[in-house]
Amino acid sequence: MKNSKTSIMISILAIVSVASSLYFIIPGGIEAQSEEKTFVTHSGSIVRTTGEVLDPLYTSATMEFDPMEYLREFNYGRVSQLPDGTTLREFTIIAEDDKIMEVSLGVFYNVWTFNGTVPGPTIRATEGDMVRINFINNGSKSHTIHFHGIHPAEMDGVFEPVGPGGGQFTYEFKAGPVGVHPYHCHVMPLEEHIVHGLYGVYIVDPKEGRAPADEMVMVLNGLDTDFDTENNFYAANTIPFYYQHHPIQINTDELIRVYVVNMVEFDPLNNLHLHGNLYYYYPTGTDTVPSFYTDMITLSQTERGIMEFEYDYPGKYLFHAHKVEFSEKGWVGIFLVKENPENSLQGVEYGTGE
Amino acid sequence: MELGSKTSKGKLVASGIIPFAFVILLIVYLFGSSGDLLDVGVSLPEVTIERINFVDGEIQATVRNTGHIPVEVVMADVNDRIQPAAIEPDRFLNRFETALVRIPFEWNESEPYTVGITTEDGTRFEKEIKAATQALKPSGELVGYFAIIGTYVGIIPVMIGLLWLPFIKRISKAKYNFFLAITVGLLLFLGIDAIEEATAVSNKFLAGSFNGILLIVTVVILSFLGLYYSGNKLVKRADASPYAKPVALGLMIAIGIGLHNFGEGLAIGAAVGLGEVAFSTFLLVGFALHNTSEGFAIAAPMAKGKPMIGKLVGMGLIAGAPAIFGAWIGGFAYSPFTAIVFLSIGSGAIFQVIVAILGWIRKEDDKFLASASVVAGIAAGMLIMYITSILV
Repeated sequence: MKNSKTSIMISILAIVSVASSLYFIIPGGIEAQSEEKTFVTHSGSIVRTTGEVLDPLYTSATMEFDPMEYLREFNYGRVSQLPDGTTLREFTIIAEDDKIMEVSLGVFYNVWTFNGTVPGPTIRATEGDMVRINFINNGSKSHTIHFHGIHPAEMDGVFEPVGPGGGQFTYEFKAGPVGVHPYHCHVMPLEEHIVHGLYGVYIVDPKEGRAPADEMVMVLNGLDTDFDTENNFYAANTIPFYYQHHPIQINTDELIRVYVVNMVEFDPLNNLHLHGNLYYYYPTGTDTVPSFYTDMITLSQTERGIMEFEYDYPGKYLFHAHKVEFSEKGWVGIFLVKENPENSLQGVEYGTGE
Repeated sequence: MELGSKTSKGKLVASGIIPFAFVILLIVYLFGSSGDLLDVGVSLPEVTIERINFVDGEIQATVRNTGHIPVEVVMADVNDRIQPAAIEPDRFLNRFETALVRIPFEWNESEPYTVGITTEDGTRFEKEIKAATQALKPSGELVGYFAIIGTYVGIIPVMIGLLWLPFIKRISKAKYNFFLAITVGLLLFLGIDAIEEATAVSNKFLAGSFNGILLIVTVVILSFLGLYYSGNKLVKRADASPYAKPVALGLMIAIGIGLHNFGEGLAIGAAVGLGEVAFSTFLLVGFALHNTSEGFAIAAPMAKGKPMIGKLVGMGLIAGAPAIFGAWIGGFAYSPFTAIVFLSIGSGAIFQVIVAILGWIRKEDDKFLASASVVAGIAAGMLIMYITSILV
């Protein structure tokens, strides 16, 4: 009697332990989704799946940050005249460091931001203007803004850390020299403050202006989402593959001017290759005469310049890092070149033959 | 009296259940509002890539959430380059849940690949395969191939080892004990070898949350106890006839070695299946030499009984054939968890056999472990195994 009870107990124990271990071992579980999805990879292979598709290359997520908006957004500030006739441009920049943002499809990362975005706002002034930045630090750490360019030492944003929780500082300097420059936080540990996103672009236009063009800003950056001092993602304007699934629309026979700034950390070099075309390149944008006519430039940390080009033929053209690792991790985009509407008004159309 | 025993039984049951009730209360309490109190520290996601299969134009990774929190798989990569992929059944993984990640990829034969999986917080987990080989599909040809390997590694060497029986039969008692002790040495080595192998599998493939080492220890001991219990019954039943006892002991050894060879077959099949081993003739020779001694281990106690060719062949099959089944399972349906379990069962079985043989020797030789022939035998057995193991 007693024996049989113990054996029953033992067998129950055995059944329970076997069942619970099976629960852990058998993959997948019992419920399976019945509907089939199909997706085509860019190499052309077709995959049918009963599960879900993970495709950051061609799936466009709804992002909080809109790289298309950032691309052509220039901030000229609140303009007023100083008594001596100088133009004063005032900007307010607020630093924060608690934002969790979806940076790639399904990947969430703690970005540190100037005015809520990575990169921060593109600041634009004309040479000789007075630039005044009202900086407010709403973050939980000290931050500053360090502008590349010419300014007094106390406006350099290095030895004047601005305290967290509402600390303020006013940076004021005369815009110059002409060109495209980065600005970024310069608080130690510097690498950490930069890679989390505290940077942006500062453009100084020549007094006489530049030729009219379709202008855009591209900040080449990387994201180290697992903090192993290697970038997990690369991009032009933060979101990997964004301009691949959202091609940048431009017109044939129209001057395109790209202000390009390399903010990639960890990797010593970045580069930019344009398909089906070559561009005039002005390193740092400080000269009015281009230094190169090329389809490939190499950029070190914070190295930047201005690219100018026109497309003759409509169609889709890639632009990407020719360090292919970077392009396969997101730093790739497409120019969708359309026939210039002015051309069709004149009755000239591409490909009509006679 | 009847009533009294009933109430006392009720009390007994209640006293057994009450602690459980408190444990449940404690769990409810901790998961409830007071849980926040203990919520210090950060729970990090952990995903383990358990298996990678290379099929036509596709790399398939079996991933398991081995951390303490649910995770969401959001991206796959090959060699640290982002690739579009499909995940089945879905991308949300609870604790211990698995999913299959299918990455369309034109991989090249025998090149190394690293597959990476990224979770929603941007953490990347990876696993490297040294040489890509087409995943094995159960085909008649392959089933036959594994059967042949299993036969070479398991059955044939054991059968050859059994041929020592007439030799053992003719030697003196002291020499006989020496050979019995050799068996102990051989088995001791095999048991430790299996634990070592299980540990290697655990370190390489099993996620930390499975507590691989404790799993091995638990299974080894359970296997030992289970077989000791049933083995004792077998021997007791055999006590009736003086000739049955050697057969019972031989059978126990055969079963123990069979369980061991099952684990060995599993490891061989898995190594071939995972593309880690090109099965060379050299390796086969090594295994064959190594396993011949297993036949000897069965033959030693059997020498005391009546010559029974049929029984002997049967035992050879019991000891050797599991290598074939192991190779099939390892090659076609490898799971590190089952591999570790079977290796550990084999190890426990062998330790049980060692205890049985030592008991036998004790009866035969008064000096037992103080006897020169016994000590020399155990030492010789272990040395033989060590030297032949270098060939594997």
